[in-house]
Amino acid sequence: MWTVKYKPRRLSEVADQREAKDKLLRWLKAWKPGEKAALLYGPPGNGKTCTVEALAAEMGLELLEMNASDVRTRERVERVIGRAIKMASLLGAKGKIILIDEVDGLGAADDRGGIRAVMKIIRESAFPVVLTANDPWDRKLYEVRRMCQMIPFKRVPVRDIVKRLDQICRMEGVRADFNVLHMIATRNKGDVRGAILDLETVAQGKIRVTLEDLDVLGDRERETDIFRVLSSIFKSTSALSAKLSIDEVDMNPDEVFWWVEENIPNEYENPEDLARAYEALAKADIFRSRVVKRQNWRMLGYMIDLMTAGVSQAKEKPYRKFTRYQRPKRLRFFSETIVERKSLREVLSRLASCLHCSTRKVKTEFLPFLRYIIRQKPDFAEKLASALNLEEDEIDILRVFYN
Amino acid sequence: MSLEVWAEKYRPKRLDEIINQKHIVARVKVFIEDRNIPHMLFAGPPGTGKTTMALCIARELYGDQWRQNVLETNASDERGIGVVRGKIKDFARTIAMGGAEYRIIVLDEADALTSEAQQALRRTMETYSATVRFILICNYSSKIISPIQSRTAVFRFRTLSEEDIRKFIGWIVQGENLDVEEEAVKAIIHLCEGDLRRVANLLQAAATLGSRITEEMVYEVASQAKPGDVRRMLQLALDGRFRDARDILYKMLVNQGLAGEDVIREVHRQVYGLDLPEEAKVRLVEAIGEYEFRISEGADSLIQLEALLARITAYGTSTPPSRGLWR
Repeated sequence: MWTVKYKPRRLSEVADQREAKDKLLRWLKAWKPGEKAALLYGPPGNGKTCTVEALAAEMGLELLEMNASDVRTRERVERVIGRAIKMASLLGAKGKIILIDEVDGLGAADDRGGIRAVMKIIRESAFPVVLTANDPWDRKLYEVRRMCQMIPFKRVPVRDIVKRLDQICRMEGVRADFNVLHMIATRNKGDVRGAILDLETVAQGKIRVTLEDLDVLGDRERETDIFRVLSSIFKSTSALSAKLSIDEVDMNPDEVFWWVEENIPNEYENPEDLARAYEALAKADIFRSRVVKRQNWRMLGYMIDLMTAGVSQAKEKPYRKFTRYQRPKRLRFFSETIVERKSLREVLSRLASCLHCSTRKVKTEFLPFLRYIIRQKPDFAEKLASALNLEEDEIDILRVFYN
Repeated sequence: MSLEVWAEKYRPKRLDEIINQKHIVARVKVFIEDRNIPHMLFAGPPGTGKTTMALCIARELYGDQWRQNVLETNASDERGIGVVRGKIKDFARTIAMGGAEYRIIVLDEADALTSEAQQALRRTMETYSATVRFILICNYSSKIISPIQSRTAVFRFRTLSEEDIRKFIGWIVQGENLDVEEEAVKAIIHLCEGDLRRVANLLQAAATLGSRITEEMVYEVASQAKPGDVRRMLQLALDGRFRDARDILYKMLVNQGLAGEDVIREVHRQVYGLDLPEEAKVRLVEAIGEYEFRISEGADSLIQLEALLARITAYGTSTPPSRGLWR
């Protein structure tokens, strides 16, 4: 496999990612037991794992590697890594790096223990711990995230991928036109590993590769899939093809729903199109609530039709433009404000108990006035805090969240 | 330090201090004299003294030890009857302090309970009736299932009169040494919708603006002190800035955790002030009603409110609004 054969051996061979490498090196040099782990994140195949491997090799550190599929249960983690951590102090000698790959692959429910084990490792390890993830904003990684220094890995620029592909071609004795390599690099959107895999698929055993050879390549499933689904929903004029598009992505309908929700205003500009599209989505939402409330799974089909075909038919005519689709804010919003919302709930429930009413009443009947009073007389916040037995900065959450 | 929130500070402590509701106070006094309290259901508009009545009863019955003998719980904050039942059970099992025969459970906003939950509550009430008395509080007694109504003494709290509200204002004015202009008093009466809680809040906020409270101050406070930023959100939508409007919506629902119903009701209140053709306002009201109904039936508030905002954007940007848009 070329992806293995041409894996970077040295840090300098890893394509691009200069900033990330610098950041990682600085973190490693400063690391002492008890400090934050490093969380390398970014889309697949852009060199996160390779960088760690090359770094370990270059610095003469032993790499203790496990990926998410190994970390299924707490017992397993403790057996594999826990022992290494403890033995460390006995053997001393050679340093190690512990690498836990694809932490976002740990499922929420059944791998709860897995996440906890990872956190335990970070806390107790005598050696630096590096984690990798494609999507670090996943809700379940919230606590892990706080224990990590975040190091982003960008998509590798097309130019750098082409360069790498060209090197490989030369070593393999394959002749490929520049536009072939460019095409492979582009369709892989910053994924070096994917590009090398594609190159191997079309070039193996050949002396020369042409554009026609690229036809054999199927599309790799990932974010591009949801983008394609969105584009069929938004651009298509056929209700049926909009509806069928959802089968092209391996994502549950609920998640697709939020992708559509986020991107309606990115695509539709005419306010009437916008209104019709959101109404279709709102109706899909009604069917969704029927599924949830009555466990009536038959209703799911109608939800899907409305959020695809319904949204698709909302436009008077298709927009001829390139639309940059965005990841749903809603899913992220929730996970990013967990701490704040938790302390807000605490403040609210204390107020509720002092004021003999529900937190909902506090929010609608009292907070607007309390906020007003605090704006006029800042020392009122202090009084409020001491009456509620809170620190003043805890009360501050009211100001932060209601600015 | 005690909580310097006037709505709490001027909450009546004794039955005799309760503003109006004389018919109820008279009955309740008899119960207390006999030391025999039935399960009770207090129904009536917000801010008319229901919770206060319950707390006063507890004080009269148990004196200083009232807190130990009262369980205050709120149906809108407790997820499901399971929690309520667990809490009630634990509370009912321990004996009343200070030699009282029974303890009191105040279940506020009882109309937030589903009818299934109310059925369960009814059994709980029967099981523990030897050791606890329930005071259920709600806005509309029609939302309480009849088996519960038939097991409780139902008291309807009256909407407070202008005179009642003036009396309450006078209390606070005296206690805080305020100077309130007559026009300001009228403004408060107009704005408070008979809700004494709001009277206290309006006064307290207005008092931060100056020593002599004027009509302008009261209206200034009332226009500023609103849950969320509904007004700005609507204006942005009308100006065709849907995305900015949506950001505010996110903030209200996600960060501030406001209930979708509360936001949509505020939208309803503000419809007539929007810069729209009169006919569009009426159609918008119909739409708002539809979205509120959907939310109350379990649809997602964010999506439904987004659809409403998108519609407002469409109305605001097409002049005249095309009639064919929404049959």
